[in-house]
Amino acid sequence: MSELSALIFNLHRLSTDDGPGLRDTFFLKGCALRCAWCHNPESFSLRPEVWWLSQRCIGARDCTRVCPEEALRLTAQGLVIDRERCAGCGRCVESCPSQAIEFLGRSWTVKQLVAEALKDRLFFKNSGGGVTVSGGEPCLQAEFVAEFFAGCQAQGIHTALDTCGFPAWDDWAPVLAHTDLVLYDLKESDPERHRAFTGVANDRIHANLQRLADYQDRHAGRPAIWIRTPLIPDYTATEENLSALGQFISETLGDRLERWELCAFNNTCQGKYDRLGLDWPLKGKPLLNRDFGERLRQTAGRSLGRSHDVHLTGLI
Amino acid sequence: MKSTFVRPGILPRIDALRRRRTALNTSNKRNVYCDNAEFLVYHWSGKSETFAPATGEQASDHRINIGDHSCRVDNGQPYPFTAEMPSKKHGLKLDAGNWAEDYHFFITHSPAVVEPGDMIVGDFHWQLDEARFFRYPDEVHALGHEARKLGAGGISFTHTCPDLSIGLALGWGGLLAKARRNRQKFEQFGNLESADYLRASEKVAQGIISFIRSHADRAAGLAATETDLENRAIYEQVAEVCGNIAEQPPKTLHEAIQWIQFYQIAERMHGHGNGYGRLDLLLQPFYEADIAAGRTTREDARNLVAELFLRYGSYMSLGGRNRELHDATSETSWVCLEAFDMVGGYNHLGVMWHADIDPAFWRYACDVVGRHGAGCPTLLNYEIFRASELRSGYPEADAWNVSYSGCQWYCSPGNEYSDHDVNCLVLIQPMQRAMDLAIEQDAADFEAFWKIYDLEVNRTADALRDFKNATYLWQPKVWPEMVTSFCAHGPIEKGRDITDSHAVNNNFTSVNVLAVPNVADSIYALQQLVFEKKKYPLREVRDAVNRDWEGQEAMRQEFLNQPKFGNDHDGVDAMTVRISEHIREVLESRRNNKGFCFRPSLFQYMGHTYAGPMLGATPDGRKRWEPVAHGMNPMHGRNRQGMASTIRSFCKLDFTKYQGGSLQIELQPTFFPKVQPRGDLVMPFATSFFQMGGVQINLNVLALEKLKTAMAHPELPESQEILVKVTGYSSHFVVMDRRFQEEFIQRVNYQNL
Repeated sequence: MSELSALIFNLHRLSTDDGPGLRDTFFLKGCALRCAWCHNPESFSLRPEVWWLSQRCIGARDCTRVCPEEALRLTAQGLVIDRERCAGCGRCVESCPSQAIEFLGRSWTVKQLVAEALKDRLFFKNSGGGVTVSGGEPCLQAEFVAEFFAGCQAQGIHTALDTCGFPAWDDWAPVLAHTDLVLYDLKESDPERHRAFTGVANDRIHANLQRLADYQDRHAGRPAIWIRTPLIPDYTATEENLSALGQFISETLGDRLERWELCAFNNTCQGKYDRLGLDWPLKGKPLLNRDFGERLRQTAGRSLGRSHDVHLTGLI
Repeated sequence: MKSTFVRPGILPRIDALRRRRTALNTSNKRNVYCDNAEFLVYHWSGKSETFAPATGEQASDHRINIGDHSCRVDNGQPYPFTAEMPSKKHGLKLDAGNWAEDYHFFITHSPAVVEPGDMIVGDFHWQLDEARFFRYPDEVHALGHEARKLGAGGISFTHTCPDLSIGLALGWGGLLAKARRNRQKFEQFGNLESADYLRASEKVAQGIISFIRSHADRAAGLAATETDLENRAIYEQVAEVCGNIAEQPPKTLHEAIQWIQFYQIAERMHGHGNGYGRLDLLLQPFYEADIAAGRTTREDARNLVAELFLRYGSYMSLGGRNRELHDATSETSWVCLEAFDMVGGYNHLGVMWHADIDPAFWRYACDVVGRHGAGCPTLLNYEIFRASELRSGYPEADAWNVSYSGCQWYCSPGNEYSDHDVNCLVLIQPMQRAMDLAIEQDAADFEAFWKIYDLEVNRTADALRDFKNATYLWQPKVWPEMVTSFCAHGPIEKGRDITDSHAVNNNFTSVNVLAVPNVADSIYALQQLVFEKKKYPLREVRDAVNRDWEGQEAMRQEFLNQPKFGNDHDGVDAMTVRISEHIREVLESRRNNKGFCFRPSLFQYMGHTYAGPMLGATPDGRKRWEPVAHGMNPMHGRNRQGMASTIRSFCKLDFTKYQGGSLQIELQPTFFPKVQPRGDLVMPFATSFFQMGGVQINLNVLALEKLKTAMAHPELPESQEILVKVTGYSSHFVVMDRRFQEEFIQRVNYQNL
C-alpha cells in the first residue's frame, strides 16, 4: 500500500444505516454538491476545520493564545472562528482543557484506516456487515478509496461506496473494482429542481447510473446496487418525484437493483450548521409524516414494479 | 419442533395472573429493602445482618428500597405469631436445633395461599428474620467496623445456587429419609454434632411437608364449595398435585414445576438471594415423559412454566452445554423461553451462549430481549463461566453444570457456598489514603506512588478477611440455611450446614469491587499530569479534590479530559487492566478460614448511586455528587467512541479471572429498524462480544422521554408498566428509589451502538 491519505471527519462504528449488517462508516471530506438538506455540512470543505462546542467551554482562552493565525476571538456570543484565517492546524484543539474545540478532518493513511476497520471485523463477520465509505463525496478522493477497499477486501471485509453519482465516470472505475456494494443516491428526477436543490444538474448522475449498470453486466453482477433517495418534505418527497424515479430506476437497472431505500428527513444536524456559522435553509422544518412516508413508499414500489424491495428508513 | 416461535394469544386465565403480578410489583408489595446508604456502598452497615427485615424488631427506620424483586408478598402486616415463636417463648440459642424449631413453627404457621385460577400455587408473606432475632456477636461487629473504616464490608447470606435435581429426584419424603439415615449413621459412630444437625434438618423437612399438604387441603376445601366448574376442576387438580408432592417426588411436569415453586418459597422464607439453576435441564425429563405419554402439549407446558414465572421470576438459566459439553438446548429450552415471551415482565431468566449453541434458539433469545427490552433474558457467556470455574479449581464434573444464578454471578449448583454479591471493597478508599501518604512521604515518581497504593489495598483486604473469617465461624450457628442444605452435595451426607466449612466442595469468598473504572481513570490522570508531565503537584490535586474542585474548574477539566476507560485508548486501558489484576492478585492471595481464596467480581449492584457524596470527589474529574461507575462499565458519559470501542476496552480484561462483570447497555427503541426482527441486530452484536471474551450483556431498550415522564407522573398506567434491568436485577421503574432513577436516566445515552 502506498502512503496515500484522506481527510476523514467522522467515523460511525456499528452503523445500521449504511448497508447490510453492522458497518463502520467512514466520512470523507469534500463534496461537489450542496444539497439543501445536507446533514453533514462539515463535509463541504476539502480542508481540515475546527468547530466550537459551547456547552463544554469554560472560558479558559488557551485557544485564542495559541492560535498562530489569530483566527479565534472569545466574545459575549461565544468563540468566533475566522474561517478565512483558520488554517486547520489544530493547535487550539490540543490546548483546550475542556475539549471544547473539535477537529474535523484528521488525515488517515490507507494502512491506518484498514487497521481501524479490522478492529471491528468480528462484528462484520457475525452480522454480514463491513465498511462503508461516505462523505461528502468519497469519489473526490477516489484513488484513496480504491486502495482502502482493496486493503479491506484482502482481509475479507465487505466494502460499500456511498456516492452521489456525480463525479466523472473515469474517476470511479478504480474504486468499483474493489467495491462489493454501491449505495447510489438518486434525489430528484426533475433536472431543474435537482439543480435548485443540490446546485448541479442530474444528467451526469443519470448517465453514470447507466454506466454502472453496464459495468455490473461486464463484471458478473458486481458490485451490487442499492438506490437511496432522501425524502425531504417540500423538496424530494413528492408523489411525482418518486413515481418518476421508480420508472427511471426500473428502466436503467431492472433486475440489477437489489434494494431501494427511502431515507426520511432528519433534523439532528441543526447544531452542526450553527457551529459552522452557516444558515440552514431547512431550519425548523418538521419531520416527515409517517403516513405520508408510507404512501410515498407505495408509490415508489408501484412505479418500480417491485414493492417489497422498497424500504422506508430513518423514521423516528 | 424447533421452529421460530409465533407469539400465541394468551389465555385469559394467564393474562389475569400477569396483571396481578404487575399490580403486586408496582404497589410496593415486592420490595427488597436495605438498611441505609452505607449498606449499599459497603454491603454491611452494622444494623442488620442481611437486607433489612421488612417488619419486626429489627426493621430499619432509614431503609432504602432496592427494587421490587422480593419473592415475598408484603401484606402490610407484621408476622402475627412472633410472640409464640419457640425462641421467644423458650429462649434463643445460636444453634441449628433452635433455629429449626423456629423455622418449623414459622412455616407451619404461614398461610396456604391458593387463589382462583392458579394451577401453580403458593406465596409467602414473611421472612424468618422478621420473627427470629438475627445478630452476630459483638466481636464480629467490631471487626466489621474496622473493615468499613478501611473501605470494605459484607454480609454472608444466601447468594448461592442449590441443585434442585436432588430434591426433584427424592421428594421431601426422600430428603427426610436421607437426613434420618445419615443421622442414625452419625449416632452409631458417635458424631453427635452432625447427628444434632440432621435431627434439626428432619424437623425442617417435616415442616415443609406439612406446609405443602396444607395447600392440598386448602385447594380441596375450595373445590368443595366452588360452583364454577372450570375453577373447581383447577382446585381439584391443585389439590391432587400438592397432595402427590408433599412427600413423593414429582412425576409430571405440573408436579415438578409446583415442587420448584414450593422449594423457592420454603427457602426464601429463610432468606433472599439464591438462584435456582438450569430450568431447561431440570424440567426436560418431566416434559419429555409427559409428551411421550400424551399427558401434555407444548402449549400446556408453556402455560405452566409461565405461571412459575408469574409467581416470581427468580434467577434461572437456559442453554449452555451438557455433561458431554454438547449443546444442552432442547425443546424444553424453547418452551421456557416462549413462556417468558408470552407473559414478559419481571423476570431474571438468563440464556447462556456458547460456540455450539443452536443458532435458531440463540437468535430467538436475542430477539426476545430486543423486544421485551428489560434485560430479559440476560445474555451470558457459558464458555467464560465454565472456564472461570475450572480456573478456580472446580472439577470438570461440577463445572459443566454452571448456571447464571444472580446479578452478575454464576454457580455450580449445589456445589458451592461462595458469598456471591454480598461483600464489597470500595477501591476509592485505599487510593485516597495512598494520595495522602504519597504527599507525606514525598513520593518521587509514579512507581513510588503505586507501592503506597499497593500497601493500602492490602490493608483493606486484610481487614475484610478478618471480618469474614469471624463471620464464618459463627454463621452456621447464627443463621444456618437448612432448606438450601437439602439440595446441595454434602451437607446432608456430612451433617453440616451449607454455610459451614467442609459441607460443600467450594467455599470461596466473592468480593464486589466498587469503582474500578473511576480508580483507573483517576490513577491514569495522576500518572499523566502529576508524575509524567509534572503539571500539578500531588498536594494541589488532593486539596482541590477535597474541596470538590471548587475554584479549580480548569484543573478539573484537565483531569476530566485525560483519556478514560471505555474508549479503546491503550494507555488508560492498560492502567485499568493493571488496577483490576492488582486487586485480583491481592484478593486471591488471601485465604478464608474455609481454606479458599477471595475472588473479585467487577460489579457492584447499587453502591455506585450513593457512594459519590460519601467518598467525595475523585481525580478523574468526578465531582462529589456524581455517581461512581456502575460495575466495570465506563463512567457515565465518558465513552464517546461508540459501543464497539467500549467493548474493546472491556474485553482487554480476562473475565475468566473474575466472578462476572456485566456490560450494561441502554438503547433507545429508535435504534431498531421497524422492518427487521430485533434479533437480527442483537444477535451479531452479542455473539461478537462473547467471541471477544465478554461475559454478560444486560440490554435495556427504552425511550428516555418515557422515563422522564414516569419520574414526573408515576401514577400513569404507562409509567407503571416500565420495567428496567437496573444493574444485575430488574425492577419496575416507578418503585425505584429516586436516586436510583436519577442515576439510571444518566446512563440512557445511546442513540445507537
